[in-house]
Amino acid sequence: MRVKFSKHLIQFYFITMSSNMRGLTVFIADIRNCRVRELEEKRINKEMANIRAKFKDGNLNGYQKKKYVCKLLYMYILGWDIDFGHMEAVNLISSNKYSEKQIGYLGVTLLMHENNDLARLVINSIRKDLEELNEIYNCLALHAIANIGGREMAESLSFDVHRLLISPNSKSFVKKKAALTLLRLYRKHPDVIPATDWAERIIVLMDDTDLGVTLCVTSLVMALAQDNLEAYLGCYAKAVDRLTKIIVDKEYSLDYVYYKVPIPWLQIKLLRLLQYYPASDDHNIRNKLHNVLQTIINNSQDAPKNVQHANAQNAVLFEAINLAIHLDCESQIVNQAVVLLGRFITSKETNVRYLGLETMSHLAACVDSLEPIKKHQDTILLSLKDKDISVRRRGLDLLYSMCDVTNAKAIVAELLRYLNIADYALREEMVLKIAILTERFATEYQWYVDIILQLLSTAGDHVGEVVWYRVVQIVVNNEELQEYAARTVLIHLRSPSCHENLVKVGGYILGEFGILVANIPGASPMEQFNALQSKFGMCSQPTRALLLTTYLKFINIFPEIKGEILSVFNRYRHVLDSELQQRAAEYMAIATMPTDDLLQTVCEEMPPFPERESALLSRLHQNQSDTEDKRTWVIGGKDFNKDRDTVRFSTLGSRSNSTDSKSKNETANNGNNSNDGNGELDFLRDLEGLNIGGQNGQNGHTSTSGPLPAGSITPGSERWFGKLLYNTEGVLFVDSQLQVGIKSEYHSQLGRFALYFKNKTQTTITSFTTVIEHVKNLLITTPQQPATLISPSGQIQQLFHLECQNLFKETPNVRISFISGTLHTIVLKLPIVLTKFMEPIELNGPEFFTRWKQIGGGSREKQTILQSNVPIDLQGLHSMISGFRFGILKGVDPNPANIVGASVLHTAQGGMIGCLMRLEPNVEAHMYRLTVRTTNESVTNEICALLEPQLTNNSS
Amino acid sequence: MISAFFIYNQKGEVLISRLYRQDLKRSVADIFRIQVISNTDVRSPIITLGSTSFFHVRHDNLYIVAVTKCNANAALVFEFCYRLVNIGKAYFGKFDEEAVKNNFVLIYELLDEVLDFGYPQNSETETLKMYITTESVKSQRAVKEDSSKITIQATGATSWRRSDIKYRKNEAFIDVIESVNLLMSTKGTTLRADVSGQIMMRAYLSGTPECKFGLNDKLLLEKDTSHRGLSQKRTNAVEIDDCQFHQCVKLGKFDSDRTISFVPPDGEFELMRYRTTENVNLPFRVHPVVNEIGKSRVEYRVTVKANFSPKLIANNVVIRIPTPLNTANINIHVDAGKARYVPAENSIVWKLSRFQGQSEETLSGEAELSSMTVKKAWSRPPISMDFQVLMFTSSGLMVRFLKVFEKSNYTSVKWVRYMTKAGSYQIRF
Repeated sequence: MRVKFSKHLIQFYFITMSSNMRGLTVFIADIRNCRVRELEEKRINKEMANIRAKFKDGNLNGYQKKKYVCKLLYMYILGWDIDFGHMEAVNLISSNKYSEKQIGYLGVTLLMHENNDLARLVINSIRKDLEELNEIYNCLALHAIANIGGREMAESLSFDVHRLLISPNSKSFVKKKAALTLLRLYRKHPDVIPATDWAERIIVLMDDTDLGVTLCVTSLVMALAQDNLEAYLGCYAKAVDRLTKIIVDKEYSLDYVYYKVPIPWLQIKLLRLLQYYPASDDHNIRNKLHNVLQTIINNSQDAPKNVQHANAQNAVLFEAINLAIHLDCESQIVNQAVVLLGRFITSKETNVRYLGLETMSHLAACVDSLEPIKKHQDTILLSLKDKDISVRRRGLDLLYSMCDVTNAKAIVAELLRYLNIADYALREEMVLKIAILTERFATEYQWYVDIILQLLSTAGDHVGEVVWYRVVQIVVNNEELQEYAARTVLIHLRSPSCHENLVKVGGYILGEFGILVANIPGASPMEQFNALQSKFGMCSQPTRALLLTTYLKFINIFPEIKGEILSVFNRYRHVLDSELQQRAAEYMAIATMPTDDLLQTVCEEMPPFPERESALLSRLHQNQSDTEDKRTWVIGGKDFNKDRDTVRFSTLGSRSNSTDSKSKNETANNGNNSNDGNGELDFLRDLEGLNIGGQNGQNGHTSTSGPLPAGSITPGSERWFGKLLYNTEGVLFVDSQLQVGIKSEYHSQLGRFALYFKNKTQTTITSFTTVIEHVKNLLITTPQQPATLISPSGQIQQLFHLECQNLFKETPNVRISFISGTLHTIVLKLPIVLTKFMEPIELNGPEFFTRWKQIGGGSREKQTILQSNVPIDLQGLHSMISGFRFGILKGVDPNPANIVGASVLHTAQGGMIGCLMRLEPNVEAHMYRLTVRTTNESVTNEICALLEPQLTNNSS
Repeated sequence: MISAFFIYNQKGEVLISRLYRQDLKRSVADIFRIQVISNTDVRSPIITLGSTSFFHVRHDNLYIVAVTKCNANAALVFEFCYRLVNIGKAYFGKFDEEAVKNNFVLIYELLDEVLDFGYPQNSETETLKMYITTESVKSQRAVKEDSSKITIQATGATSWRRSDIKYRKNEAFIDVIESVNLLMSTKGTTLRADVSGQIMMRAYLSGTPECKFGLNDKLLLEKDTSHRGLSQKRTNAVEIDDCQFHQCVKLGKFDSDRTISFVPPDGEFELMRYRTTENVNLPFRVHPVVNEIGKSRVEYRVTVKANFSPKLIANNVVIRIPTPLNTANINIHVDAGKARYVPAENSIVWKLSRFQGQSEETLSGEAELSSMTVKKAWSRPPISMDFQVLMFTSSGLMVRFLKVFEKSNYTSVKWVRYMTKAGSYQIRF
């Protein structure tokens, strides 16, 4: 299903095609009969001259053009330069015959690259073919776009491709190709594709009944979602649903079963897609996912029959384990997975071992407790001796990840031992890792110094500069370490084979801390100097420079060996190397000054280094820079991964507050469009409508550069919203296709409501999805996702649970999208406001006034005078106020027309807030005076804000 | 020395594979095929990969390849390769894939004879023919003579000649064949001109004749003139840059007084090869005028003038005039000969079967070009020529004498022929 042609395929293609083009058959036969390249060249030259003459003459019919372009292409794929005939290929594209068009496209895709000037000429022809009713033409055009895919082409055609993808009239195979073409364009020019604007329409396609389409669209979504986590949030639920269907419910067509595993590619893609997002809060989704993962793990229990089956099964399993780790690394499933992994890393199959180790290091990089992994420590150590280097690498990664204080010594010792026989390619990384582990998990200084010095002397050339810089840094910063370090380094320096890096460390440490050990027998100043001087000759120039500096420090701390050192300086004043010469000359001058003041100032003990991020770590992480897949984790401990995650998901943080501005636009369009079409497949009209949508999309895309303004609600839905503020049930939204009803009930801070969706059309609504846009301090959960299909005139419902955690101001929105002919998106404000969580209370007159006074005036009271637009209906007023969940107190106010109410607002975290109100209507003047007093200033304002518009517009 | 010897056909299939030493595996043949035959970039006749060197010579549709692991004398190896081609030609008439395929056994036999542990041995065709024979190839005398004579000859002082040859009529034919190479710049200046010549001899002489051969060699003549005090002959003298002789020529004598004396082998052999670079007489002058008019037309006007004596005639003159790679149509007009556009070679080929000395011919024409997607400048490859001129030497070399001395003092008849043909004769425009 690849979009690209393979060359062999084309060759085959030529042979089959040439059966009805005699000239081509003869030509190919001629070429094949050429035994030598020279003969072939002659034949080619001849043919090219012939074609040039023919093209120059013009007056060719379609068949001839096709034939000659075919010949040119044949020459081209044999490796000859073709620098003419492009125009003829372009002309062929606009032919009406399929065979000619096909050759035209073949020619264009083979001969042109994205920056070709002629590619511009093709764009219009391609667009025409994209708009054709003939699916095969569409596919040819899509192929061409995917194969050439320049920026200009992406800019001018991506909308048409997108239209083909989302159009309900597209056949499955067109959709597949469109999805992959779009993916290719996105990878090439991500900025051209308005990924966020298209999110909804693309995500919806993941529900397609054709698994092939789903697979292609999922690939596209994976690429888009990585860069636009928030916009593609909707794919999470869809992915879970789809996985459940495939794995748990076993709903799939038999065509897609690969060695008993149903469509493993899609499974893996979905599992991976889920890893881009943080674990969902929704219980329902979590349970489903848990179920899916559990089923996958259970399925893996039975031994596969053959290699392909095993591959497919393991691929799914490993991805599932990765997902399980990502979701919650302490879960039951992960524990089962660890057991499985333990079996895998002892497998006979190299691939399985590799994957087992890789997944285990993923696990080790995420979990808190390494105990289950440590059980396998011996096996893992053994994997370092595996015959396959990639397995060894994974083993190393895993050891690095699973290391902690308890097993550090064992692991480091093993790694050090292994270092001597390790592959050269592996050594540098090993050295880095050993150095990091030693530093991080060292409990005693001696161990650290011993290991590091041993590392420096054994690994030798594979030790990067950073490693020894770090050693010096640590020794300087830890006073307890200095004496031991100086002593040990001196011993190492005396050994006959001593690596240059060790000399560097030795030079620095002895220069600084040599004085600490000067009294120990065998470490007298002279002996220290001799130890260094004996290595001086074999060192490179930078090391010698460093040693000269050390000698200057020696003069300062051990004046007794000044003579010997001065003679060294003297000798080096005449060397050829300018750096050494300058140092020697300057040090000589400082050392021979009449007073030691300058020397002492210059050679003062080094101040401790400022704490900074270990250069070793950054070096290690730099080695494994991000690949295309952004789901990646880094080896080595939970903390790093946490940091990465927070960065990665930071874009998601604000998701509850911003909504997509474009949706308004889009739904408006779709609304119009669907009214016209009304379920009938009026093909052209649909296309036109979509076109407009597409263009608007483009405008929307260019204009929304800043943050998206919130609260773009489907127009017309407001009129139902107002009433529902003080009613528990009613219609939330109606249009020609869908009716949405709501029923709700509240008990103090808890509540629940049900949405009823009724299909008003005569066709089935598909891909039905609801997404709640959450608001702060209000918890909304749904026990189950609604069905994705609504039969004609059918109705489905969805239940939601609410919990008011604290005061909230915004109203949550629900975003409903579905396909009925075209994609429709409706965003509705849910009538869930603060007053819904109030409980009416009964008070008698004195009680009321006591409280009224207790609350007092000031900022806690708000009084407004309102002008009503309609005559005041006192009866209605009563029911409205009680609908706002105020207990109406009779006989409190001396004027019976006035309404006095009291209630208590319940929140889970913010406690209870008492609310009192008084409404004085003036029926004649159509005026109200509203007074609200609550124990919380912002609640007062909120209640006023909610009541006012309803009072002024009360039309009941 | 040579470790292995292979013959490939043009596709790279191994036809002959003979290993002489243990330091190579037979699979080394694949390396050559991959690295040289399949690789169109490699045009060098010698290529060293790792420590292995491949020497190759292309003849007809064959690759003749010698492989060595050591620092062998490259000139020697190439000489051997060419010699092998000559042996092949002498045995089979034509040394091509067909001939190799038909004579596998014989070729292996020959290879065993001419190379021993990688060292070249006697490769004189006439000698080889005496003891390596097949039904088709058989020296007339081979059967008559007993093997002891063969041994004596093959190991004797004059391994190239038997002692008991008798002819009723003693004749010697000398052919001087020169190929002239020229590269002329667009401005008409000569960038490179040299002549490589070959003197072939067919000797049908009885007994063991001692021959002396004289050329108008400048060094030799100057020596003479300085002795005699004469100077007018100097103008005819030719400066020979380097020369190479058949093994029968006594080099000691040549070194001491530059006389060429030898006991010739029986039959045809190449007496000498030489090269001159000074005072080359170019047989043809070409004046091309090629104008590119805009992007769609090229105008040609090519004039060729014969520069040799009007008494002589050049045969088989072919002039190849390159055309742009995007040529669509061509109109040509010529007064003599035939000219036509050969698209396979991207050139106009103008053929004249006779070309009188001192005459002049002109081609005029026009090429129409088709448009290209990527405008590339035309590289304007040079015009090349092919011809043969009898009784003319570009170097001016003449045979002054050939003297034959034999014990029986018979008289012999000598014939001399001269011919100049085109090597790579190229004129830029």
